[in-house]
Amino acid sequence: MKKKAISVILAGAMALTLGACGSSSSTSSSSSSDVVTTGATSTATTSGSSANGDVEELSLWHYFDAADGPMIDQLVNEFNKENPDIHVTATFVSREELMNQYTVGAVSGELPDIGMVDSPDMASYIKLGVFEDITDELNDWGQLDKFYAGPLESCKDSDGKVYGLPQNSNCLALAVNMDLLKKAGYDHTPTSAKEFAEMVAATTDASTSTYGFAMSAVSNEEGTFQLLPWLCATRDGKKGSVSDIDSATCSEGLQMLGDFVKNGYMSKEVVNWGQSDAYNQFTSGKAAFEELGTWQLPTIADDVNGAFNYQVVLLPTGDEGTTSSVIGGENFGVCAGSKHKEAAVKFLEYFCSKEEEKSWSEGAGKLPTRSDVTPNYSYEQDAFKVFQEEMNSAMARGPHAEWPTISEAIYTAAQSVMVNGNTAKDALKTAAGTIDPILKENPLPAESSTSSTES
Amino acid sequence: MGNTPKKMKSVSQKQTREGYAFILPAFIYLLVVVGYPIVYNFVLSFKDLNVQNFKLGTSKFVGFQNYAEILTDPKFQLIFRNTIIFTVVCLVFQFSVGFLLAIFFSKKFTLAGPVRGLLLIGYMMPMSVTGLLGQNIFSNTGLVNDLLSKIGIAGPEWLVNTHTALIAVIIMNCWVGIPFNMLLLISGLTGISPEIYESSALDGATKFQQFRYMTLPLMKSSIAATLMLGFIYTFRAFDLMYIMTSGGPLNSTDVLGTYSYELSFTQFQFSKGSTVAIILFICLFIVGLFYLRLLMKEDEE
Amino acid sequence: MDTYNEKGMTKSQWLFHTHEGRIDLRNGILAVVIAVIGLFPIYWMLQLSFKSDQETFGKIITYFPHQFSVSPWLQNLQDKAFLSSLKNSFINGFLTMAITIILGVPAAYGMGRYKVKGRNAFLLTFLVTQMLPASLMLTPMYLIFNKLHLLGTYFAPPIAIASAAIPFAVITLRPYFKSVPVSLDEAARVDGCTAIRSFFSVMVPAVKTGIITIVVISFLNGWNDLVFSMTFNVKENMRPLTANIYKFKNKYGTKWNCIMAYGSILVIPVIIMFVFLQKYIVGGMTAGAVKE
Repeated sequence: MKKKAISVILAGAMALTLGACGSSSSTSSSSSSDVVTTGATSTATTSGSSANGDVEELSLWHYFDAADGPMIDQLVNEFNKENPDIHVTATFVSREELMNQYTVGAVSGELPDIGMVDSPDMASYIKLGVFEDITDELNDWGQLDKFYAGPLESCKDSDGKVYGLPQNSNCLALAVNMDLLKKAGYDHTPTSAKEFAEMVAATTDASTSTYGFAMSAVSNEEGTFQLLPWLCATRDGKKGSVSDIDSATCSEGLQMLGDFVKNGYMSKEVVNWGQSDAYNQFTSGKAAFEELGTWQLPTIADDVNGAFNYQVVLLPTGDEGTTSSVIGGENFGVCAGSKHKEAAVKFLEYFCSKEEEKSWSEGAGKLPTRSDVTPNYSYEQDAFKVFQEEMNSAMARGPHAEWPTISEAIYTAAQSVMVNGNTAKDALKTAAGTIDPILKENPLPAESSTSSTES
Repeated sequence: MGNTPKKMKSVSQKQTREGYAFILPAFIYLLVVVGYPIVYNFVLSFKDLNVQNFKLGTSKFVGFQNYAEILTDPKFQLIFRNTIIFTVVCLVFQFSVGFLLAIFFSKKFTLAGPVRGLLLIGYMMPMSVTGLLGQNIFSNTGLVNDLLSKIGIAGPEWLVNTHTALIAVIIMNCWVGIPFNMLLLISGLTGISPEIYESSALDGATKFQQFRYMTLPLMKSSIAATLMLGFIYTFRAFDLMYIMTSGGPLNSTDVLGTYSYELSFTQFQFSKGSTVAIILFICLFIVGLFYLRLLMKEDEE
Repeated sequence: MDTYNEKGMTKSQWLFHTHEGRIDLRNGILAVVIAVIGLFPIYWMLQLSFKSDQETFGKIITYFPHQFSVSPWLQNLQDKAFLSSLKNSFINGFLTMAITIILGVPAAYGMGRYKVKGRNAFLLTFLVTQMLPASLMLTPMYLIFNKLHLLGTYFAPPIAIASAAIPFAVITLRPYFKSVPVSLDEAARVDGCTAIRSFFSVMVPAVKTGIITIVVISFLNGWNDLVFSMTFNVKENMRPLTANIYKFKNKYGTKWNCIMAYGSILVIPVIIMFVFLQKYIVGGMTAGAVKE
């Protein structure tokens, strides 16, 4: 009898949920963000193929799932309208699965025509033959020199051939809870690692379980992304680098983070936190400082919801007045074996044109990859300026076909410091044992070329 | 079993034909779908295919080099140890608790059916959701530590500490495994006719004697099947760790399943990934042979 | 359960004043205690799914939502692909179940009943096929399915999933078929039944309980699958519900309320289905007891 009651309740709940869905799906989610989308996107995509002639059907895979999700549909739509002989269909495939598909596709040859890829992974997939060499096509286009060197570099192989275009960029900066900082007796934001460490200590308050700092040191690429600014900082005038990972500069940077954990200024759980976890800690007021990504700017005001004042500043990773960061972003390439290479390149050129880069950056809260684009952000203008400035001191990861192995060595070193309390020096020596032989065989590109050439 | 007289050869031939007719469709299906993947990984484990030589097509056969490298790698040894601990502890707990629950719920009382059904929900959840739930429950300020603090114990940092993370993963896996074992064993228990117990009770057998000398022998086949399947599923576990801890911190919850995946799909060391998978395969194969021997003995009886 | 009626007692009289009643009560209480412990994580998931963002990130743990919020559920259900994902999950479950039952049950019967030559080799093969981690089957299976033109159809994932479900069915059902008295089968044969007729009319009903268990489990294998469905079907409208996990995991981080609403959505249809099927299982198992 009890069971019957339960089943009735569950059935009721089910009916309710189905009902709720039915009514909501018609009023498609044009959510709270600043992006205004033009209603039903997926249906419009198909209407582009109205021309009766030989329409080239292209498939595109992406993992845009925030404000940028509807934007890609809209952009594809417009492209299809402008090019009646080409019809692109955009499909969302989550990042993890997309990576699986590329790996499986490298063996089977079944790939989409156009694919999105996280910039540090591109080198591996180029090496696996997932992407098509489109150097000649892009040279004919004549706009390659408009792209910042760092992001464009990630689309090239070691011979300088180009396999795609960087579509968007981002980097990391520091989010500061100004209220907590004030409470700890400071009226300014940190400008050096030393000062930052003091402030992190001062803002930590065990009684309210508030930590000084929150970041991600999880055992995947996200962890490496957030760790590198602190390792590759400038200390005593010397800049740390991945090719010299067991240098004093790198180990001092990592030791500082390790001490944060040891002293309780940073939760040990950072070793399990992704970037959105660290972000949630900050927006809920549980961390005074946080390593913030550019892509988080469109939502931060809503998520903080007026609970405290916050500010975004350059990462104080080393000597007074210096900063360092890491370039993130997504590239798009033409996949190997595509029967529509020309049409695919045409789409890439449209996607990464001056106009589209501008509107994409503004709408999705990202940084442009072209130097001739100056977006007008309608929100968080100051913060965006900080990120744009931070871009000048942001390093690229790789490009290197074995970056995943290098990356693993780095986050493993950090975890052994944070979890097991090993010294940063020892941990990075172990990491160097993995990284150095790889780089000896295939060195990283000269690090000078990785910073952007903004002028 | 029915002893077919030797002279009735045609009958036994007919029997064999019938038997094959029932078995072969499934057998062929499996050969087609799974046979090739096994051979594929086997071949790959003797080559040196990786990201550097993949496109060039210059990978070559390297004999047992991958096996030698992997078996002597301290990281692999740690992961192998994790896998063994995870499997053995999970099997012991989920089987013994599952058996106790199966005995209890095979009794006839008003709530037996409904509660037994409800308990299975844990098993029905997708492992990925269980993994997320585990992440939440075992976080520093999560449910488990809150309950512990209520009885005056300061809980550990479960998923952060290399010593406790595996325990947390084991607990979550048992939560799924216990109902699974119960389900498989309960069907075997209800197959035993109550009259057997009744007659033995008249003979003055205690509950324990009944269990030891009647239930266990009658259940042998079900128990062996349950343990064998439990072993296979636990030994090749993947989803739970992948979602709950990503194998971390510091590989403390990495098992052969997650490690082979990481090698192949994250680090593009395809041959090494296949090697780990084949090592996993061989371990299971050996256990499978023991299971088979047990069944053969049983058949002889 | 009818016992107390026969004796002209009310249920409470029976429970408290007869020996068997008291045993029933004691067992019942123990069962409830076990259920509370065993199901607490499920409760935890449900209550988290109805919490507001603030409460989810509150500094103290609460054991039930103080501010009841349905927005985590709405965020999940408003997904434009929700209904099609739900449908796809059901298709995945049913096809896996169908393949498993059609191929697995006869094979279990063949293995349990016939002393065919090489049956140990067969059994070993059935075991062996489950011995590789699913992730490493992806690439070679993809190559096969590509050749067979199965990619992008509803059949590819169930065919892969069933390759694990069939051996499971064979290994668990085999003892059932063995335990059915040979006389039953033989009697049917004497009556002139063919092997197939006797299989369907005598053997299958005799092991109904076991088969229902396999039906449920193989359906769940298909319903819960993630890796195969995502690799063999990239079309958005063919994705099952489980595929959303990456979406939600990345997007929300520790937004537990949304994640738990997603988990609940995945589990609830299964519970409903199971509650209905459980009735048959319990019915089958306790049929003898009730008639006493």
